Amino acid sequence: MHGSDEIATRVIFGWDPLWVASILFITTYAAIISEKVNRAIASLLGAGLMIILGIINQQTAISGIDFNTLGLLTGMMVIVAITKRSGVFQFIAVWSAKKVNASPWGIMVMLSLVTAIFSALLDNVTTVLLIAPVTLLICHELELAPYPYLFAEIFASNIGGTATLIGDPPNIMIGSAVPLTFNDFILNLAPIIPVILLVTLGIFYFAWGRHLKATDAARNRIMRFQEKEAITDPRLLKQSLVVLTLVIAGFVMAHPLHLEPATVAMFGAALLMLLSNLGNKAEAQSEDVHSTFGEVEWVTIFFFIGLFIAVKGIEEAGALKMLADYALNLTGGDMTLTAMTILWVSAIVSAIVDNIPFVATMIPLIKSMAPTFGGAENLLPLWWSLALGACLGGNGSLVGASANLIVAGFAERAGHRIRFLPFMAAAFPMMILSILIASIYIYLRYL
Amino acid sequence: MKLEKVLIQTKVATSGMPVREIFAECSRVNAPALPFCTKTGRIRGRITLKNILKMSCLPEYMVETAHILGDQLSSTDDLEAKVRQLLDNPVDPYSQEPGLTINSDASALKALAIMEQNDTSYIFVVDEGEYRGIVTIQGLARTLAALDQQQ
Repeated sequence: MHGSDEIATRVIFGWDPLWVASILFITTYAAIISEKVNRAIASLLGAGLMIILGIINQQTAISGIDFNTLGLLTGMMVIVAITKRSGVFQFIAVWSAKKVNASPWGIMVMLSLVTAIFSALLDNVTTVLLIAPVTLLICHELELAPYPYLFAEIFASNIGGTATLIGDPPNIMIGSAVPLTFNDFILNLAPIIPVILLVTLGIFYFAWGRHLKATDAARNRIMRFQEKEAITDPRLLKQSLVVLTLVIAGFVMAHPLHLEPATVAMFGAALLMLLSNLGNKAEAQSEDVHSTFGEVEWVTIFFFIGLFIAVKGIEEAGALKMLADYALNLTGGDMTLTAMTILWVSAIVSAIVDNIPFVATMIPLIKSMAPTFGGAENLLPLWWSLALGACLGGNGSLVGASANLIVAGFAERAGHRIRFLPFMAAAFPMMILSILIASIYIYLRYL
Repeated sequence: MKLEKVLIQTKVATSGMPVREIFAECSRVNAPALPFCTKTGRIRGRITLKNILKMSCLPEYMVETAHILGDQLSSTDDLEAKVRQLLDNPVDPYSQEPGLTINSDASALKALAIMEQNDTSYIFVVDEGEYRGIVTIQGLARTLAALDQQQ
């Protein structure tokens, strides 16, 4: 018996579950995209209605929540919240700027590289939250417009985040659902990232880099920055670096050790909270843990919970299977055409709307294509296409990724507004170029 | 202890008043803020020294990167001219929402509790919409110290 037939009996007023689930899902999606309602509220309401209207029961709803994704996200958020207090990220940003003798183009390259590396290992939003203020300060002292630097950092953040399992939420979701390990992402996505980053930096050089000039006095001001003073807690710095190293090693070893990434991240978070509270009295510990948990982005976590349930509802109603069959009809079940379609559609959609709901919808859709392609093990090119498209697509516009909006917010408050259309006019073609490179990579390596 | 004993009477800020006068009055009475009042004396906001300095000298990115700031910054070039310009500015753009108020017949302990609850060091004293003065932590400490000397 088909899933939608099973649930038809319990849907309110005997309505067609496919229609009810589809309308509910599209409405939820529209509410998220409109940004008139907080995205966590929209997704939780959509999820609640899926249950209340009888599309799924609570047990099915809970089975749709990917706790591995939630655990990995929360664990990494805790680790980053504690680590950033040590000041290490700003230290590295200033240190790297001084390493190139405060040369304007050198700084753009170094800050882009630092942003890309941090984004691969931490979340993109935290990375730009830490790097953007340093960039604005450096540009102010160099008497240069910050726009090219911030533009480069937005790109570096989304490109760097594509490289690893933990770099961007779409990768976390894909890695958890398939499942794919940390090493799978390193071996399959990381090799193309330096190529895309280098091409991007090359374009930045011709567009901006070669024209950037600063006086000796301005460069001297940068050289007098006191990066060592950014390290406000050397003990915490050591503890954080040890735990971060252990967590990365844990991700690498997770598969042979039969561990899920969420276990590694959560254990790392608990270990770092323990170490950073050594010697503290119970009350101080409570305050510290409370403050650390307060820095977890709960809106994102609850957004994910609602979204997973809403997607489960539409999946159970049979809509995703129908959509997958339709897509396969269009591509004739051809792997190359299907992979390229997923890559390009993901990129363009992710440039315009939040890539998280899109990827959450695409995961069950791609999974349902397994029989056409001879089993789940043959779907790998599709998963890499989805990851590359969804992550790199975030560069296409100012609203393509949360990190872009964070940078724009900092710039605006500093009196350097980044306008939507001029940004998109430059960013969208560059995003398309990165997808072109990704297409060649996918084709040559997997198809 | 009644609030009147620790009340500090101050001038009020009004539209068009230059920042210079706010700095002078706050320095005179050792208060971190003044009420921003209409011509009829109603409180419509508050002017704090912290907000004037933050808005005029401290962009957000400089606060975020406070520890790494060097001893030579472009912001400190031509300092005297910049300061003069700031002091001539009207206070209006620096006005914030009115803030905490309390009646003059309340106790000093209640004022202290409200200040603590709201993590602030001052509270405006207002009776039936009319500004009477300000109570500050420093003023309270000064009164307590004076009591000790009297004994």
